Amino acid sequence: MNINTRQKEGVTVLDIEGRIIGSESVALKNIIAEEIGGAETGDVKMLLNMKHVQAMDSSGLGIVIAAYTSVQRRGGRIALLNVGGNINSLIVISKLFTIFDRYDDEEEAIQSFQEER
Amino acid sequence: MGGRVSDSRINLDSRISVGSHTMTKTSDQVIHIDLPSSTHFVYVIDAIISEIVSDMGFDKEESEQINLAVIEAAVNAIKHGNNEDSSKRTRFEFILNREQLTVVVEDQGAGFNRENVENPLDPSNLLKSSGRGIFLMETCMDSVTYEASGRIVRMVKSKSSVT
Repeated sequence: MNINTRQKEGVTVLDIEGRIIGSESVALKNIIAEEIGGAETGDVKMLLNMKHVQAMDSSGLGIVIAAYTSVQRRGGRIALLNVGGNINSLIVISKLFTIFDRYDDEEEAIQSFQEER
Repeated sequence: MGGRVSDSRINLDSRISVGSHTMTKTSDQVIHIDLPSSTHFVYVIDAIISEIVSDMGFDKEESEQINLAVIEAAVNAIKHGNNEDSSKRTRFEFILNREQLTVVVEDQGAGFNRENVENPLDPSNLLKSSGRGIFLMETCMDSVTYEASGRIVRMVKSKSSVT
């Protein structure tokens, strides 16, 4: 799995590529923790771009949930971008569709963070 | 004359065999995989099950469901069953025929009681970062049964269309 981090209009965008399964998901956990840890309270605006994620298991989903709760506690926000069919199914059957904001358009996703403030 | 290769993938201590099985029909093809108990090796199972479902002609949605269920079973066996003790083995048996795939995953741990596993869809559990593996296996497969006090998990998925 490869993860590229970039900044766009104050939002940290993580472009994730590969399969978030088994021990692979640790890399995602570490990078998210680094981003959250380095931000001041309330400053975390994170967009997980999953366009090139082919599969994710419950470990990967657990990392996204943990990131969501951690960021929310600090007053920040995490959203998902380009969630593919199988990962969307995972979110839906896990009844997490009301929890995660999901976008198919990056500009719209970035804009949603600006509108909050 | 290269130096020592330290890539753990090269040193993978796994055993894979293909053949018939006394407990199955003669038309069944049986594949055995035997892995050390490290989640690092889940990629091996991921690759093998991807090839199996493709070879059997499962459709895309069924393939993704099987893939997820098998990965969840593998992680459960390695992490929760064998506590990632690399001296313990995690064994997989894939029984293939024209109509369906049966996957048997066995660990060498203490087992577990299915009834004690919490429902991850309960509102109080929704935001927990773990505890969805069993639920996903049971959602994605046609049947999931537990044997030997939970040390063996048997999962079955039939093809929606048999050609």
